[in-house]
Amino acid sequence: MAAFFVRRVLQGIVVVALVATIVFLLIHAAPGDPFAAAMEDPSITESVRQTWRHAYGLDRPIGEQYLRYVANVFRGDLGFSISRQRPVVSALADALPNTLLLMTLGLIGGFALGISVAVVQVRHRGKALDRILGGVSLAFFAVPDFWLALLVLVSLTSWLHFPIGGAVDPVMYDFLTPWGRFVDRVRHLFLPALTLSLLYFPIIARHQRASLMEVLPSEYITTARAKGVDERTLIRHHAMRNALLPVITILGVAFPALLTGAVFIEKVFSWPGMGFLIVSSIQGRDYPLLTAAVILGAVFVVVGSLLADALYRLLDPRLRDER
Amino acid sequence: MDVEKVRRQLVAPVRIFIVRSVTFVALLAACSGGESPRSDTPTGGTLVISVGGDPETLLPPIATTTTAQIIGDLVYDRLAEIGDSLNTVGDSGFHPRLAEAWEWAADSLSVTFRMNPRARWHDGVPVRSSDVVFTYRLYSDSLNGSPYAVALADVDSVTAPDSLTATIWFRERSPMQFYDAVNTMSILPAHVLGNVRGPALRSSPLSRAPIGSGRFRFVKWSAAQSIELAADTANYRRRPNLDRVIITIAPDMNTALARLAGGEADMLEQIPAASVANIAKDTSMRVLLTNGLDYNFIQFNLSDPGFPSRAHRLFGDRELRRALTLALDRASIVQNAYDSLADVAIGPTVRAYPTTDPSLRQLAFSRDAAIRTLDSLGWKDSNNDGVRERNGVRLEFSLSVPTSSKARVAMAELIQEQFRRVGAKVNIDALDIPAFVDLQNRRRFDAVIGGWHVEPSPGGVRQTWGSRGAQTSGSNYGSYRNSAFDAQVDSALAANTLEERRSHFSRAYQIIIDDAPAIWLAEPKRVMAVHKRIRTVGLRPDAWWANIAEWSIPASERIARDRIATGR
Repeated sequence: MAAFFVRRVLQGIVVVALVATIVFLLIHAAPGDPFAAAMEDPSITESVRQTWRHAYGLDRPIGEQYLRYVANVFRGDLGFSISRQRPVVSALADALPNTLLLMTLGLIGGFALGISVAVVQVRHRGKALDRILGGVSLAFFAVPDFWLALLVLVSLTSWLHFPIGGAVDPVMYDFLTPWGRFVDRVRHLFLPALTLSLLYFPIIARHQRASLMEVLPSEYITTARAKGVDERTLIRHHAMRNALLPVITILGVAFPALLTGAVFIEKVFSWPGMGFLIVSSIQGRDYPLLTAAVILGAVFVVVGSLLADALYRLLDPRLRDER
Repeated sequence: MDVEKVRRQLVAPVRIFIVRSVTFVALLAACSGGESPRSDTPTGGTLVISVGGDPETLLPPIATTTTAQIIGDLVYDRLAEIGDSLNTVGDSGFHPRLAEAWEWAADSLSVTFRMNPRARWHDGVPVRSSDVVFTYRLYSDSLNGSPYAVALADVDSVTAPDSLTATIWFRERSPMQFYDAVNTMSILPAHVLGNVRGPALRSSPLSRAPIGSGRFRFVKWSAAQSIELAADTANYRRRPNLDRVIITIAPDMNTALARLAGGEADMLEQIPAASVANIAKDTSMRVLLTNGLDYNFIQFNLSDPGFPSRAHRLFGDRELRRALTLALDRASIVQNAYDSLADVAIGPTVRAYPTTDPSLRQLAFSRDAAIRTLDSLGWKDSNNDGVRERNGVRLEFSLSVPTSSKARVAMAELIQEQFRRVGAKVNIDALDIPAFVDLQNRRRFDAVIGGWHVEPSPGGVRQTWGSRGAQTSGSNYGSYRNSAFDAQVDSALAANTLEERRSHFSRAYQIIIDDAPAIWLAEPKRVMAVHKRIRTVGLRPDAWWANIAEWSIPASERIARDRIATGR
């Protein structure tokens, strides 16, 4: 078991290094540079742009830039964000907690809702409620994320007077009591987290329902039913443990989303998180910021898949002795 | 509507520039009358402005975004401020700021500024002439890479004879020397920045937490969320009427509009044409329309994209360019793309300049004339495929357009259709901004729908359309060269009277219109939405925010956020 994880960690390091190299080369190969937008201003002369390129080392050969970048990363220096004029670490440190908070709540909401819907569907399998919930899940699955986000924004902000975007009320926040600040944060978090939950739940519900339907014909379930265990207990306490395994795989895949966020959700709700940071760094060709964000994303993918493996082994004893 | 007011300001006569020497006494009388305290205007209230993105830095010498410019202009002061007429010749119309008066040397090669002794930085330290010397060094130090250094090229040095006197020395006389020197530099605190220079400047504390001398002081910046400014109640020019200005970031336009409709924001600086009608219906909002300083155009590449020394296979021919210009119904294109929120552009200039004559002779739309000209030039559709040919060359070209501008993308489609009707095939190439700019910079295009945002001075035309800008590093991406045009622009920029300037510029513009290196499309207006309780004054075309300190909210119309006692 330990050897397995050591091997996976080493593989993970290679994956991260490869991802970092590929993204570094790709973003540098893309047309334009970080100062492209400034070229729209005729007062910014080529000599100024050259000064800027020199200041950021962008006038050096690509190979040298790469080696310098790698050396800096090993020293713990992720560089200086060109579009934000601050250390990359500082820009990431601002955005990451916001995204982690939003995505964690979104995932928890999505999983809780998805599993609950699946359980209700299975308990009423083949009946109208099962079909209705299946249809609702399919509808949410098919809705584009930006469309759903706009729908939630427009409807709930006007009907229920939720705040329109942002993480806090920029006008009143400093003048609120500690309790008022907490409520303000929750109110700002509610709509984007709800939207994410609504986007995640159909995936979970459909997987969980299929998994439960697969487990229910098992002999141990038949035995439990023969012993007189009621349907509710049967599903919750007997079928669920085995049926959760495939959903855990989804959790492993969804984990990296904790970092990269949901770009459209963050944009629509003006949520100051990683998703929007990454997209704007691509648009602005902010090489250091984008590369660092992608490295962080790759680390999350590796950690996510390791966690999924660990959980799998925890829940399925047959896998523990596998090499 | 404020439009009329703005128009009146734009056509206001500009005083003739006369190189002169005046005494301090006379100037004090003329200049220091500026803004006296007004007891009748109520103070208090919060203005919330929604913008699309965070600024990259708040240090004026290296900031390039509009948001940074807004904050920079509110937090920092210049020595003097350009007037509403946007006159850039001499010092006519300039208002005193950190300098309470100034005196020209007899030879006009220096201007001595008398600093306002009451001016203080927001940390309480007095503003002194040494700050002016420091600021000039910071802007002009090539190591700092300030994009504005080029405007200071005519400044030889800045000296401080005493703590309240700063002298700017010029290398040579020019009508715009005062504007170039004064308008470029936001005066910075030497005692805070010290000896920081080069890349270290970008990570200096002042880059994210400015300490200025303007009527608003910086409070805090929550990255990607908001920036808060508060009234500097002890300011040497009187406290602003508003208590706070909060700039909130909403990258998505739908969110920004929802914030406006929901009352979370008071102002949106640029609203899309499609939303104007809805906002106009909102009884709590006002739509403000001002002339802008933007124009856009189809720019033809006069050089071969593969071999820059050769003429372009199509657009090297002046008559073909003129025929294509005749083929476009620009009025209908602009009407379709902007509704009534833009005028048809009249050349490489904007109507807001007092030097622009809006009655310049245009190549008026006439499809029949275009077809006749193309026929006469030998462009015929011999194989009936809808596209003309001549000597085996098809009348077909790519038209690159940035996807960031919906109006330009819409215009590209209309242009494609109108050119099709005269037998010219256009392939639209929509690109993201970095790729679009890269294409322009490398001159690897047939035609682009470009756009310029111009400064208050019309001198930028030399760089964007003059021969000097046609060099590889210049901004004249289409490589248009005409020595007669260059000469007229040079004469205009050297002229000392508005009439003379206007006359030379008109001749220059007429030359370029007739040569048709571009088809001038639209001159969009700035369309802003503002909450009705906000009383706006002095919306300058180049900087609508310039007079925010004079904006106010009547006590009877205040809402909850206006009544917060900031106590800061």
